[in-house]
Amino acid sequence: MIFTSIFFALFFLIVAVFYYALPHKFRWLWILASGIFFYLQSKPTYLLIVTFIILITWYAGLQIGNTTSSKKGWRFYFLAIIANIGILVFFKYTNFFTSSAVDFINFIRQKIFSSTETITNSLLINVIAPLGISYITFQAIGYLIEIKRGNHAAEKNLGHFATFLLFFPKITAGPVERAHNFLPQLKKVKPFEYNNISCGLKQILWGLFKKLVIADRLFIYVSAVLPNAEHHSGISLIIAVVFYVFQMYADFSGYSDMAIGFAKVLGFDVMSNFNRPLLAKSVTEFWRKWHISLSTWFADYFYTPIAIAKRDWGMWSVVYASFTTFIVLGFWHGAYWTFIVFGGLQGFILTIEFFTRKARKNIRKKIPAFLNGLIGITFTFSYFAFSLIFFRANYLTDAFTIIKRIFTANGPIYMENPSIIVFSLLGISFLTLVEVKREYFNNLFTLYDNKNWLIRNCYYCLLLIIILTAGVFDGGEFIYFQF
Amino acid sequence: MATSFKKILTQKGYWYLIFKILAFLILFFILDFILGGFLGKLYFKQTSGWEYRTKYSIEDTRADILIFGASRAQQQYNPFFFEERLKQTCYNVGRDGEPFFYYYAIFKGILKRYTPKMIILDIENGVFRAEQTSYDRISVLLPFYKNHPEMRSVIKLKGPFEKYKLQSKVYPYNSMLFKILIGNAEFNKKRSIDINGYVPLSRALNEPTRSVNISQKYDLDANKLNLYQSFINECLKANIKLYIVCSPYYINLIGSDTSMTIAKNVAKSNSIQFFDFSKDDFFLKNPNLFDDTVHVNIEGAKIFSNKLIDSIILNSAYKN
Repeated sequence: MIFTSIFFALFFLIVAVFYYALPHKFRWLWILASGIFFYLQSKPTYLLIVTFIILITWYAGLQIGNTTSSKKGWRFYFLAIIANIGILVFFKYTNFFTSSAVDFINFIRQKIFSSTETITNSLLINVIAPLGISYITFQAIGYLIEIKRGNHAAEKNLGHFATFLLFFPKITAGPVERAHNFLPQLKKVKPFEYNNISCGLKQILWGLFKKLVIADRLFIYVSAVLPNAEHHSGISLIIAVVFYVFQMYADFSGYSDMAIGFAKVLGFDVMSNFNRPLLAKSVTEFWRKWHISLSTWFADYFYTPIAIAKRDWGMWSVVYASFTTFIVLGFWHGAYWTFIVFGGLQGFILTIEFFTRKARKNIRKKIPAFLNGLIGITFTFSYFAFSLIFFRANYLTDAFTIIKRIFTANGPIYMENPSIIVFSLLGISFLTLVEVKREYFNNLFTLYDNKNWLIRNCYYCLLLIIILTAGVFDGGEFIYFQF
Repeated sequence: MATSFKKILTQKGYWYLIFKILAFLILFFILDFILGGFLGKLYFKQTSGWEYRTKYSIEDTRADILIFGASRAQQQYNPFFFEERLKQTCYNVGRDGEPFFYYYAIFKGILKRYTPKMIILDIENGVFRAEQTSYDRISVLLPFYKNHPEMRSVIKLKGPFEKYKLQSKVYPYNSMLFKILIGNAEFNKKRSIDINGYVPLSRALNEPTRSVNISQKYDLDANKLNLYQSFINECLKANIKLYIVCSPYYINLIGSDTSMTIAKNVAKSNSIQFFDFSKDDFFLKNPNLFDDTVHVNIEGAKIFSNKLIDSIILNSAYKN
């Protein structure tokens, strides 16, 4: 059930109406039932796997929290963590590992034993990952770590814990919520608040706009050019790569806005995921603003423990932790070398930025702030765009073809349907204008939060009308659903 | 009454929310009505371009001979030769990339106004293949939903909520804004050549043919098959002379396509003449007559149109 569908809109309307109609003590049950219904719309049998995750994590959490024996606590902690990671690895990486193993065996047979027979790929198991499995397991792991660290108490109510993992606005692609942020909100009596609904609906509208008007429009050009790089000129490829950055941002932040908005309507404040990352002045800053819920998850539960464990290495502990974190982050996106290179590129530039931070600070003092900002934003954007070439490509060779052709292939700009380019450029311009305004001129005249009811609502109406006139209604799913 | 209304506004409860949503919806429908009305005016005032051709086909043409199909109709049948040799007016209502739903809806729209004397229906390999994009492309017909009830059954195939989405006045013009604006601009008439709906192509291929096996099985779309049968039935009912044609390819087609086989069988069972040029040797030996492997160029269109006319004349003479 995709957020942009009318079926989901009807589902959400029913959920919200009954949610507020029910007494507080039954609301979590209603939210849980809605989450189960939402999950059943994908592949019903996979609910069993999620149920297993819920049960094992909840029970282990209780045992870790209750036990006085550190040995027993560790045992449960390890078992639950291994179970969660095992499920994630099995569903996300079985195909990768088995196909790599088959390739390796074939290679050995050919090179060492000169055998012409090959083990065919028909031996491979085609494992399809359950909906949102990464996000669910990450939230479960985060919950266990926090209990183990003694930062938070284990949740006693299984139903509440299940509601946390199966809260439908964040099932499919996050945000990767923290239990200690969500569970207290579930228990707190929430009276009907007009402002929650109003703010939530506005955020949903803005998310819809980003997804339907910008991301799905850009997708048309990007999907026509990047997968067929060998037929396109360098300039077309550059345009497609730049469009892909905006597509990715509008798609994922649009989804996040909608997820946060749906939660807000129901009175929940879930983690924010984006903070105008395309205006970041360095890649380090970029990763503080992009996919925040996941990057902070990695920072808290992966990067920091590694950096602390290797603190004897001095500055190199940071380098090691950065590289490892981003390689794993890349690998998390999928079991492809392209994602690993994407992660490696992030680790590489963060290392460079770490070692040059003082020199860059000195240079910054010598140039005007505006110019410094512009250079920083341009560099960060360009570097991220470059790394996304690997992210978007199916194979490393495809990425190298794109890069090579950007520099070598002359020719006209691909423009089968000029209106796609015009719509795309208008969408990007509008998004950039809104982001720049919010980043640098937030106190200036605003349409979104204007005090005048008519001006404010005319703006929302216009957004809706633009969605209806310029939105792509037959576009695909959100990019991050696959991860 | 006034006091309780004031209470609703100050308490910001459920009623306040409902009141605000209603106020927003009223404002939205006013703006939607104004902008949608404006776009509608512009849409139906166009003088060139694809949307104009669709509008002209449905609401204006009174040609005796109509040519239906997708790009292989639009770019391969030159009405000039049909008019000259058959002494009847002709218009090519084909449109690039459009599936069978489009042809049928246009046919229904035309039939509501008048009965053409002859219809040439170009179909291509895979015409009945089940694919979502065919349903997405029904969107080009949305501007006609309101005033053309005869086309609604096809438009509703786009999705179960289409009827409700069409309550908005701007939605029918989704993604058409620039096409509509250009369609109203004078320069666009010179930009795209349009000879009674026929759009000539100018490149000439210079490469050997490639072989493609077209025998692979694929899922068929029951809606498309039903509409094909209905198209034939309604032509027979209205006494319209119908010819179904598969125009030339510059591909060495191996085997037989499932859709084409069905199309031929249905035509045969209804005693409709089917002309198959898909494996025509003359065209396969002349790459210079093609713009690409599936579309003939202006010279190819001239030869193909005349060959088809010869066949039609021969067929008529035989029947008479």
